[in-house]
Parts: sequence; C-alpha cells; structure tokens
Amino acid sequence: MIVEPVNSHLVLLPVAIPFAAAAAGLLLLRHRPRAMSLLALSAMAAGVWASATLAFDVMSSGAPVVLHVGGWRAPFGINLVADHLGALMALMCQAVLFAGVLYALGSRDKCVRFPVFYPLLLTLAAGLTGAMLTGDLFNFFVFAELVVISGTVLTACSDHRRGVEAAYKYFYIALVAAMALLLANGCLYAEYGTLNMADLASRIADHPDAPLAGVALGLLLVSLGIKCAAVPFHFWQPDFHTTSPTAVSAMLSSVVVKLGVYGLIRVSMLLFPHADSLAPLLIGAGIAGVAVGGLGAVGTHDLKRMLAYSTLAQVGFMLVAIGWRSEAAIAAALVFAFNHAFVKAAMLMLAGVVASRASVKSSSFDVVTGIGRALPGAGVLFLLGGMSLAGLPPMNGFVSKFGVFRAGVDHSAWLVLAALAIGSLCTFVYVARSFQRVWWESPEAAEHVKPTGDSLAAPMLLIAFCVAMGVAPQPLLTFAADTAAWLADPTAYIAASLGGSP
Amino acid sequence: MELVIALTLGLIFGVGVHQMLRRNVIRSAMGLVLVSNAVNLFLIHCGAYRGITPPYTTIEGQSSDPLPQALVLTAIVIGMGGFSFVLAMLYVFALRDRTGDMANVSQLKH
Repeated sequence: MIVEPVNSHLVLLPVAIPFAAAAAGLLLLRHRPRAMSLLALSAMAAGVWASATLAFDVMSSGAPVVLHVGGWRAPFGINLVADHLGALMALMCQAVLFAGVLYALGSRDKCVRFPVFYPLLLTLAAGLTGAMLTGDLFNFFVFAELVVISGTVLTACSDHRRGVEAAYKYFYIALVAAMALLLANGCLYAEYGTLNMADLASRIADHPDAPLAGVALGLLLVSLGIKCAAVPFHFWQPDFHTTSPTAVSAMLSSVVVKLGVYGLIRVSMLLFPHADSLAPLLIGAGIAGVAVGGLGAVGTHDLKRMLAYSTLAQVGFMLVAIGWRSEAAIAAALVFAFNHAFVKAAMLMLAGVVASRASVKSSSFDVVTGIGRALPGAGVLFLLGGMSLAGLPPMNGFVSKFGVFRAGVDHSAWLVLAALAIGSLCTFVYVARSFQRVWWESPEAAEHVKPTGDSLAAPMLLIAFCVAMGVAPQPLLTFAADTAAWLADPTAYIAASLGGSP
Repeated sequence: MELVIALTLGLIFGVGVHQMLRRNVIRSAMGLVLVSNAVNLFLIHCGAYRGITPPYTTIEGQSSDPLPQALVLTAIVIGMGGFSFVLAMLYVFALRDRTGDMANVSQLKH
C-alpha cells in the first residue's frame, strides 16, 4: 500500500501557533497577566483548530501530511510528518492543553500570575506536538527536552512548599533520560548514518543485526520508559505530579506521559518491528505498572497523589497492549491513551478544585474530608470521571478497557488478563474510597470551607467530552483501527515520509 | 587514537556515574554534568572517522561529516540551559535546607 503524501504547511501550524504566542506573550504582555492569559487561551484554541483540521485531513484522505522544512528533502533535510498516529496524538495534546489553560484562567493559585506561567504552558504544548509530528529522531530529542524544561519550571514555581524538590527529582531523571536518548541517537547514527526515522527504519530493516542496533534499542526503551513513567523508572512520578500546580499536574499526568507512549509505539512499530525481545519487556513493565500503581493508589493519603499513582496503572495497560503488537492491540492502546488523557486531566482538576476550597491548600485526605458537601457539582463530575477510570459504561473508560481485554482474548494471554483484571479491581477501591472521603463523610468540627475556589468550567468540559466519547465512541474507534492498520505496514510510512514533491 | 578516545570516554563515564550515585546533591549534579559531556564526546566521535578535511572546501580528500557537530552544538546548548536551572534549584536547597545531603533535602513523603 503506497499512498502519495500531501505536502502542506498545515502540519507546521499546531507547533508554530503556541510557539509564536509564547514568544509574543513573553515579549509584549509581561506586565498584563489578564491579556496574557487570554492570548494563551486563544492560541490554544487556534492550535486545537489546526490539529483537528490536520487529523480530519489525514483521516478522510488516508494519506499523511508531510512538510520538508526549508525545501530540503528528507532524509537530508528535517521533515514534519503528520501520519495517523502523529495527528491523533497531536489533537489529543492540544485539546487537553486547551482545557489546562482554561483551568489556569479560573485558578486561584499564586503561580498562575507568574509572568512566564502561560508562555511555559504554551511551549509545553509546542514541544509535545512537535515531538509527535517530527520525522527526525534528533528533533524528537529537542522537542522532548522542551517539554521537560517547561514542565520542570512550571512545577518549581508551584505554590506547594516542596515544589522545587519534586522539580529537581524530575529534572534529574529526565536529564538521564535525555542522555540515554542522545546516546541512542549516536549509536544509530554511527551504525546507519541517518537520523530520519523513515530512512532509519528502512536501513534497520536491511541490517537488523548490526552490533549497535541492540544497544540503541535498549537505550531508547530506558529513555521512553522514564518519559512515560513505566515501572522500573516511575519513582519520580507521584512526587512530581502531586506538587505541581493543578493546571500543570493535570497536563503532566495526562498528556506528557503520552510522549513516552507515543515514542514506544513508534519504536516498536516503525523502527524495530521485528525485535521480539520487546514484547516480554513491555508486557512485564505494564503488569508491574498496573500492580504498583493500583496498590500505591489504594495505599496513599492524598487525593492528587492517588491520581498520580493511578496514571502508573493506566500507562501499564497501554504498555501491555503495545507489547502485544497486533492491530487490535495497537488500536486498543491508542483508544486507551486518548481517553485516559481527557479523564485524568479532568480528575486532577477536580482534585485541585477540592483542594482550593480547603482551609489549608492541600489535597491530603486529612484536610479535604467532607469538603465535598459544599461542592455537589464537582461530586457528580468526580463520580463520572471515577466511573471512567474504573472502566464502567457509559463512560469512555469502558470503551478503552474493553478494547484492551478483547485484544488480550485474541492473544489468549489469560495470565496477563487476570493480572489486568486484578489491577482494575484496585481502581474501584481507590475511586470509591476517595469519593467517600471527600463527598460522603461529614467534615471534622473545625473544618472551614472557603466560599470560593477554582473554576469548574474546564473539568466540566472534559467530563462532558468523556461522556460523549463513551456514548458515541465509533469515530475514535474507526480512526484508531485505521491508525493501527497504517502502523502495521512500516513501508507505507517510509514511502510517505521520504516521498512527495519538496 | 580510537583506543585513547574510547578509554577517555569510559573514564569520564565511570567517574560521572560514580559521582551520580553519591549522597550529596551537589556531587550528584556534577556527576550528571560529567556524564552529559561524555555523551557529547561520544556523539562527536560517531562521525569523526568518515573523513578529515572540512566539507564545502576545495581541499582534496574525503570531507568530514558535519552533522554530528551540529548535533553536539544543539546538545551542548540544551545541556547548558538545563544545568543552569539545576544549579538554581541547588541554590534553593542550599538556602532553605542548609545541607547538601540527599536524605535531608528529600522531604516529600506520602
């Protein structure tokens, strides 16, 4: 199947719009926070429009949109490739980041008035989208570094007392990941003489047993495992996602971890489609993630920390599905990643809304017990989001879990399925427990609920979208199935990325 | 020459990883700087043996590969930005906790 790619500058827009807005905001609107926040919101709205147009184009024509930047043809120049996978992931990132900016607009945190707060959120968006749309492995490293630096600075300026400590832990481990990625780049360049992913894929297919290829694969796995908080590399994640400002932690826990998931799908489907050693590693890491995340979430005493642990478990589901590597499994992983981004962002925002009403700004269960009595609307949203996390119909979480389990049945992987089912049970336990603590139990005597707090607009929007994706999942399922079929044949990507008129 | 470079790389990596595993946050940060420099050195030597004359000139002989140099320049710039921020965060620890011991700096408990 050879499809002629579409050459268009449209693929540049989702990256360029947030970048331009970040630069303009930082230069012109430093002292006008209100104007800056509105600029950020409109830039993200434009970004969502651009990436939705891109995804719609790719979906309707079935051909990727490729741009050879500066007129230099790949593999000599750097190209941007919006294939099915990149377009879907970019749309997800932009949509969730739009909700994040909306939340920051209605947030009472002190850090959102920090002059670089909105520009950093925008560079986070640009970095994420750029990493998912680039066709060059070194460019992936550069964009991933942009994401890491934006996320770290946003956490270091958090209202939380220990924000700098969590930011340091994350930054340190992320720099180690960056070095592993750089070393992998070096190994692949020394061995194959190119860093363009399409070119690299065709050369690896010709010489799969080159001595440095295995080293590069291992380094890529370590680096991407750190990025998506896969289990042996997860220890920085709960601290980091708990202490960052709510608007940011909702982004970190939902879309930033998807950068690693995206990278793992690319590595296992495009660069090393024949590496059989990947499957046991990914499935093992996934099951360990489901276990550690589920038990950690049950055992913790903080609402935001519980949701951070829950991300570990949910990423575990995606890793298992990527490890199976069949078309149905990859489609299930994509649906899972897409749905999880929206619901996890909404849940963390709701945790932030609850914490913003507490007498001491904290999401610890000791502080927030009973606060929900003043927030019935947030309770309804939290219950819906919790149902989605646990995988109950009619929410979108049911669709994603159903896909993963069905792919597992196709593979007859009964032991893995049993482990995943036990992990799912943990979800029920911790969601029910947190709902009971915050909305059911009566507050302690001296508890004082603040009259105002963060706005509910952004989580409401996200939960409404989750319900919509649960009731009418067909467009997403079709797109994911098309994407999986597209990824199953790496030669199509190679031809599209390197071909077309410059 | 290749052997010397390989040994140097190994030495810098070794010292860097050893420092990264120390309890002191400042020492571990310095270990990170060493490892990052070792990675940059590795990257520049990936393309070092393809030729020795500069590209785009009239000098005879096989021209060297400019791409690893461009990559390393980018990596150095990103690394410099990152390490200056690491130093800023270490300064916060130094002011607030008056210690560089990892056990005292790390206070985030569940």
